[in-house]
Amino acid sequence: MEPPEDKRAPLDAAEEVILRWDSTASEEARERMIFESDRQEVDRYLQAVDEIQLSLSSVSLSGDEQQSGNKANSTIQIAMARLEDEFRNILLNHTSPIEPDSFDSTALSADPGSSSRSSIDTPSAELDELDDDHLNEEDLSASSDRSSYRSTSSIREIDLVPSEAVLDLRSIAERMVSAGYLRECIQVYGSVRKLAVDASFRRLGIEKLSIGDVQRLEWEQLETKIRRWIRAAKVCVRVVFASEKKLCEQIFEGIGTAVDDACFMETVKGPAIQLFNFAEAISISRRSPEKLFKILDLHDGLMDLIPDIDVVFESKSSESIRVQAAEILSRLAEAARGILSEFENAVLREPSRVPVPGGTIHPLTRYVMNYISLISDYKQTLNELIVSKPSTGTRYSSDPTTPDMEFAELEGKTPLALHLIWVIVILQFNLEGKSKHYKDLSLAHLFMMNNVHYIVEKVKGSPELREMIGDDYLKKLTGKLRQAATNYLRATWVRVLYSLRDEGLHVSGSFSSGVSKSALRERFKSFNAMFEEVHRTQATWLIPDVQLREELRISISEKLIPAYRSFLGRFRSHIESGKHPENYIKYSVEDLEAAVLDFFEGFPVSQHLRRRSQ
Amino acid sequence: MRATDNQGSFLNRISIRRNQVVSMDGNHEQELEDLDLFQKHVADRFSDLLSSTSDDDSVLSIAWLRKLLDAFLCCEAEFKAVLLMGRDPSQISKPPLDRLVPEFLDRVVKALDVCNAAAHGVESVRHYQKLAEIVVAAFEQKPIGDGQVRRAKKALNSLMLTLEDKEGSTHKSAERTWSFGRRGAPSNKDRSTAGNFRSLSWTMSKGWSAAKQIQAMSANLVAPRGGESSGLALPVYIMSTIMVFVMWALVAAIPCQERNGLLTHFPVPRQLGWAQSMIVLQDRIAEEWKKKKEKNKLAGLLEETQRLERLGLSLIEFSDSFQFPGEAERLEEVAAQVSELSEICKKMEEGLVPLQQQIREVFHRVVRSRTEILDVLDQGGKMSAPTM
Repeated sequence: MEPPEDKRAPLDAAEEVILRWDSTASEEARERMIFESDRQEVDRYLQAVDEIQLSLSSVSLSGDEQQSGNKANSTIQIAMARLEDEFRNILLNHTSPIEPDSFDSTALSADPGSSSRSSIDTPSAELDELDDDHLNEEDLSASSDRSSYRSTSSIREIDLVPSEAVLDLRSIAERMVSAGYLRECIQVYGSVRKLAVDASFRRLGIEKLSIGDVQRLEWEQLETKIRRWIRAAKVCVRVVFASEKKLCEQIFEGIGTAVDDACFMETVKGPAIQLFNFAEAISISRRSPEKLFKILDLHDGLMDLIPDIDVVFESKSSESIRVQAAEILSRLAEAARGILSEFENAVLREPSRVPVPGGTIHPLTRYVMNYISLISDYKQTLNELIVSKPSTGTRYSSDPTTPDMEFAELEGKTPLALHLIWVIVILQFNLEGKSKHYKDLSLAHLFMMNNVHYIVEKVKGSPELREMIGDDYLKKLTGKLRQAATNYLRATWVRVLYSLRDEGLHVSGSFSSGVSKSALRERFKSFNAMFEEVHRTQATWLIPDVQLREELRISISEKLIPAYRSFLGRFRSHIESGKHPENYIKYSVEDLEAAVLDFFEGFPVSQHLRRRSQ
Repeated sequence: MRATDNQGSFLNRISIRRNQVVSMDGNHEQELEDLDLFQKHVADRFSDLLSSTSDDDSVLSIAWLRKLLDAFLCCEAEFKAVLLMGRDPSQISKPPLDRLVPEFLDRVVKALDVCNAAAHGVESVRHYQKLAEIVVAAFEQKPIGDGQVRRAKKALNSLMLTLEDKEGSTHKSAERTWSFGRRGAPSNKDRSTAGNFRSLSWTMSKGWSAAKQIQAMSANLVAPRGGESSGLALPVYIMSTIMVFVMWALVAAIPCQERNGLLTHFPVPRQLGWAQSMIVLQDRIAEEWKKKKEKNKLAGLLEETQRLERLGLSLIEFSDSFQFPGEAERLEEVAAQVSELSEICKKMEEGLVPLQQQIREVFHRVVRSRTEILDVLDQGGKMSAPTM
């Protein structure tokens, strides 16, 4: 049995060490840090703590030992308070925020001091693939295998704190936890690391915007912010959060139960929610067609991150973050679907009634075709998001005339392709409505011809679009195009050529040569007037596409020239034998041929046509 | 689809009917009944909420807030049904709804930010809980000695300082968590923010103010009068009022950013039947708010927080006058208080995360309804636009 004094002697020494560093007691203790002194001092202190701690476990409650028990507890508390400050100090000394430049692939993958995990092994997974311009197939396939924490090749952990400091922190944490000061340890850890994460966020340009702020901003400004967010979010999840998690593991592994997880959540929960708040705010913004593509970008960016999010936030306590990310993703998908629907509505309902002068391409046609061209660029994502066929009919049932689309003949097409075809269908439907505002029926047909032709050319010009629309439907469109051209020809030229018909000119009778001169003169006058009118009017009409223009002119000529030539040939002599033939035969065949070239140029011609030279 | 002619005229007949002002149509009666039911249910739910409070404790406990949010979700669901189901979409675009519904949606968007601020605020409350748990852990270590008392005192001081925080003002609370100054600190800035538990990431955007948000939400909140008081203007008003009340209660209970100047009065006409219980609750909460404001302690009216505060103060007193081994009577008192404190922590532990989840649920629901209403508004708008 040892005499009490012997038992106490080492304890007294230990106590003395601890009391020497009691910051509430001495100025010197306040000014210096144990862990910045020499290693001997550190070891001495830690040993002292251990000894007092040990003695506590053998203290009983009786009499004299109660006093020493109190003393020991008091000493431990002083030690713990001190260690807490030391812990904080060490952490603060290593709280430099992550430099955005360090996300350069060469810096990270080449640096042997950084991430030592298997995440380095796949050389092709470069960091610049975090750039949202590259759709990283590798990432998607590699990250689908999530059996181990480090299997996502896109995660890049950085050592935030050098290993000596980590060891020091561990040695403190161990003692705090075994003395029952776990909570204080978590608190102090979280408070310092949160600052570091916040600083990183600021470096990455992550803004704190309320939902109200986002609703108020112009979409163009938001587009920039979205782009920036996608880049920043990737760095946040794959580097910042992943590295914080690693740090927690390094310091707290094996110390207590799930302490590393508690510290991690304490540090990143707030920032993670703040990060996602922006994406969430975007997903709730009012839907309008121009937002589609950036929302798809955001959707894709987030989807890309989900596997990493699931890995970094895999613990039970971080479930809410995983859930929130999934919710936002699904809302973005819904928004995309909703916008497509909005777009289709807008195309159908576009109400402008002012006819486009000259029957040329309507701005709606351009807008819609450009839009669906872009959509075809995003077909990979949209094919996954758009799963239902376009709703035809019931939504518009109060509208007596609705476009019809038979789906039976469009078997085997993806829902997205069906939607695109539907868009073209309703575009035409709308255009047909607009064409009715033209007073001149011929112009209405020309208008349709121009616009359907534009549609056809746009589809042909984009391989993705063409592939989705399909050649069958393209053929249908081309057929409509031809139909419109035919309609135009009929509407304008039947009338004109009617005056060149044979019937009614021949008179049976004994005196005359068989032709009524007066009727003939009327015919010529009528032809001239009509042709002049048509020529004057239709020169101002416009067919923007050169080839189409020429084709139509040729069609006109094919009908007009032979008919006139034959008429002239048969009946000119009758007119020339009478008075003032120049009043009736105003044009030669060449004149007409030249005049046809004026058609559809889009600007007026002089009214003085060359008279037929005698 | 082929019978479009028939369909067209049939639908035309229906829409003409709806446009009639005085209608003997059975449809209309059903609508009136639905509106009445809605009002009755609202009244019942708030009456329940009122009766579940006691006169001694403060109204805003975690449990009560959860009930409140539940009631909100029920009212909201019914409101949506009344507004949207079986209606001609164009009805919502007609006056006075063409003004009232967009105002309502605007309030909704503001409410979303309040939900986010409140969810953040709950994290602050969890922080109080964690500090309190340290106190409990310290005092539960028997026998209570100098070490435990000092430890508890440290945590209690942090707790009191955090509770005393005046939102938006610069505060020195952080400094106290350092037990001493440090030479060679990286920078003064680091030092001063080092112990700041109210870390930056928990705040809303700069300049955002919960008080202003609530005020903005209650702008234009005017009970429909005269001819407007039948029809859909009334349920819109009722739902708006409920929403403002719920958000206001959340802000009063939970420390949200910048609550200075929080409204304590809402212009809900006192004679409205459905609003009676709500008005009483409002008055009581406003009373509590004013009392607290006088004492400059506005970390939140949440009952659990207030009890934490009371117990904390008492325990600080004990700690200040403690001398080992302490008087038996006093120690017994303290043990009882610590036990109570532990109870509260437990309640917080069990209730705060579900509360956050419920706030999130409210967020979702409200977003969804807004989307649906917007869809209907768009549809209705199109239908009334002249088509070819």
